[in-house]
Amino acid sequence: MIQPVLKIENLSKSFGATPVVRDVSFDVNPSEVIVIIGSSGTGKSTLLQCLNLLHKPTSGRIFLEDLEITAPGMNEDTVRRQMGMVFQEFNLFNHLTVLGNVTIGMTRVLGMPAKDAEKKAMKELDRVGMADHRLKYPAQLSGGQKQRVGIARALGMNPKVMLFDEPTSALDPELTGEVLTVMQKLASEGMTMIIVSHEMGFARDAADRVIFMENGRIEEQGPPDVIFSHPASERTRKFLSIITTGKAEQPASHMEQDTP
Amino acid sequence: MLQFLLPGLGVTVSVTLIALGLGGCIGAMMAVFRVYGNPVVKCLAVSYSVVVRAVPVVVIIFILFFVISAFIDLSPFMSGAIALGFASGAYQTEIFRGAILSVPRGQMTAARGIGMSRAKAIRCIILPQAFRVAIPSLINEVTLVLKDSSLVFVIGVPELMRRAQYASASTMEPLLAFGTAACFYILLTLTLSKLLEAVEKRFAIQF
Repeated sequence: MIQPVLKIENLSKSFGATPVVRDVSFDVNPSEVIVIIGSSGTGKSTLLQCLNLLHKPTSGRIFLEDLEITAPGMNEDTVRRQMGMVFQEFNLFNHLTVLGNVTIGMTRVLGMPAKDAEKKAMKELDRVGMADHRLKYPAQLSGGQKQRVGIARALGMNPKVMLFDEPTSALDPELTGEVLTVMQKLASEGMTMIIVSHEMGFARDAADRVIFMENGRIEEQGPPDVIFSHPASERTRKFLSIITTGKAEQPASHMEQDTP
Repeated sequence: MLQFLLPGLGVTVSVTLIALGLGGCIGAMMAVFRVYGNPVVKCLAVSYSVVVRAVPVVVIIFILFFVISAFIDLSPFMSGAIALGFASGAYQTEIFRGAILSVPRGQMTAARGIGMSRAKAIRCIILPQAFRVAIPSLINEVTLVLKDSSLVFVIGVPELMRRAQYASASTMEPLLAFGTAACFYILLTLTLSKLLEAVEKRFAIQF
């Protein structure tokens, strides 16, 4: 039996009295690419940020390989350095060059010597096609380039799993492609990835499994061709039809009443 | 005239630099307390900044010189410099606090995301960016402290102002004496601001 990289058991997260993630359980196997889809506000990003403890889960357990990272007294910093996180808003360190952005985690968190860190950073930047821009500052880059550096920064830490929080949502459609290409490449190289995304085309091509979330719960999950072609749940089918056609199947009736 | 004033120049400059350095350390620390601290240190930082800014600098100088230095051995020079630094720290707290708040939240999230502790994220990611934002306001604070340094003459520190007073008394030419002192202050202010502007340019985040 393969040991899952991540094992999520009955995870819930509430903000105050508002439940955002409800009783979510799933396993992530090595080299698996999971794309989480669903409407806005259904707790996808919150779920992702619970996985590396940027949000503290209200209840439930998460295992990173053998280690229960939700155990009391767990050092969250040592947990996070084993998981790469890529943000919607890039969040590159503005005062550092591209190279500095990738090396700072290695030198300041992993304690690598500067020389080795630089070498490794150049390897990762090369992987995302940003090696030529190493001396530029984030403000001098396009959105797509920033996000590729964001990916290299996370890769530099040798993560066991990469978490992507809507990595292309802040990008122009024409810049989305270059980021998705890099992600596809990582997937084909065997990186374990969990991606919250609205890119259905990418989900169809790159995902091993698609999870559809609704109202903080996993409504349905399965291989992309099953989810996209023969969804079992009515909600999934509705969501996908809105996403792919750009409009709801039937116009809501109260809307018609509003028009005189 | 110059032989009277020149020795005071060095004293003025050293009082100012010590005060600015001390104020910078206090200010940066208090600002971090205010933004990231627990309620106790937050309260401490707020009280410090509110109280010290409400008290005239001269009063702080007198308290340090007449009260505190009765317990610890402090020269007038050190009492004056520390008092000025303590006062400037309150203003620098506000400068650094604003600068820290101007750093986007995502910077902290990203730093924690690669496994930095909060303290390390503040030190390596937040403060370097806040410092750059703070420089223009710090230039202003430098000129204020430089001019406030003339206040330490009340406890007999032989700085520029005190020297000008001697000169005026012994030469009977107050205009020349205080005029020359004024020129020195202008020169010092301009030099220090230019210096910091160079620092600002050197560390500016490139766009």
